[in-house]
Amino acid sequence: MLLKGKNAVITGCNRGIGKAILDNFAQNGANVYAVIRTESDEFDNYIKELGAQNEVFIKKIVIDLSDEEQVKAGAKEILSDKLPIDILVCNAGTSNPLSSLAMTKMETIKNAFDINLFSQMLLTQLLARNMMRNKNGSIVYISSSAAYDGGANIEYSASKAAIIGEMRRLAVEYGPFNIRVNAVAPGLTATDMGNSMSEEDEKIALSMNIMHRKGKPEEIADAVMYLASDMSSFVTGQVLRVDGGLR
Amino acid sequence: MTNLEKYIEAFAEGLEIDKSVVKEGLEYQSIPEWDSVGHMGLVAAIEDAFDIMMDTDDIIDLSSFEKGIEILKKYEVEI
Repeated sequence: MLLKGKNAVITGCNRGIGKAILDNFAQNGANVYAVIRTESDEFDNYIKELGAQNEVFIKKIVIDLSDEEQVKAGAKEILSDKLPIDILVCNAGTSNPLSSLAMTKMETIKNAFDINLFSQMLLTQLLARNMMRNKNGSIVYISSSAAYDGGANIEYSASKAAIIGEMRRLAVEYGPFNIRVNAVAPGLTATDMGNSMSEEDEKIALSMNIMHRKGKPEEIADAVMYLASDMSSFVTGQVLRVDGGLR
Repeated sequence: MTNLEKYIEAFAEGLEIDKSVVKEGLEYQSIPEWDSVGHMGLVAAIEDAFDIMMDTDDIIDLSSFEKGIEILKKYEVEI
């Protein structure tokens, strides 16, 4: 129970890595504001059961991260509970099929940056004030191995690289408030996004990975949990690569 | 406690300074305690004191004791 009594906000909770993080955090005793874009009865039932099993509260917050006003309203909803926010995990992201810059509209690139970077920045700006007040917090961003090796399309690789720059700057800014800021950079992971590659692209991707397999969402969640918890109390401004050892 | 008293107390608490220093003419970066780090402590203290959530533009505009009073009017706080 490494997160017992902590309150966490996680974006992109309804599937893949975000859902694994939600699971992990609840099992470790954290209360969670689970940010999702699309509501469903299935998710409602899931969090109800997960919360009851682990004796934590899980509150659904619906935000379309491409809409700035919705991000602000969502943050207000979270803060209106007047609870200390101990952990923020910015996980939500968007990805498109592999394409070249020449074949990508600027609108597509801007939309990816809105969701993968700017919305996370805005949410951090709004919620970190609560952490500053309490002089305590841990923020974890989900970057990608594509930030290093360009293994995805331009908008994804570039926005995930920009997250690392954001993380490093915020580690400096928030350090005096005892807020740690780190990132996890997953490699190819067995999620809807990670499974959407063509067979040929997947073969190439796995050949570049020392362990020759995709990561499991739970393995990414374990790394996030480490950075979110007090286990990493002297770690800030770092990227933890969880990619099976990319060459 | 009047709103002015609450406002002065929020400044003193947020910037960790004596109340006697909090008066008209006090500006951002005019004292060592009101730097960018202190500024966020001040914002938090004002938000707590008046139970509001300031917009980012207002946080940026909060450049003096007097400006803060003007900004708070937006949140229906009269000082």
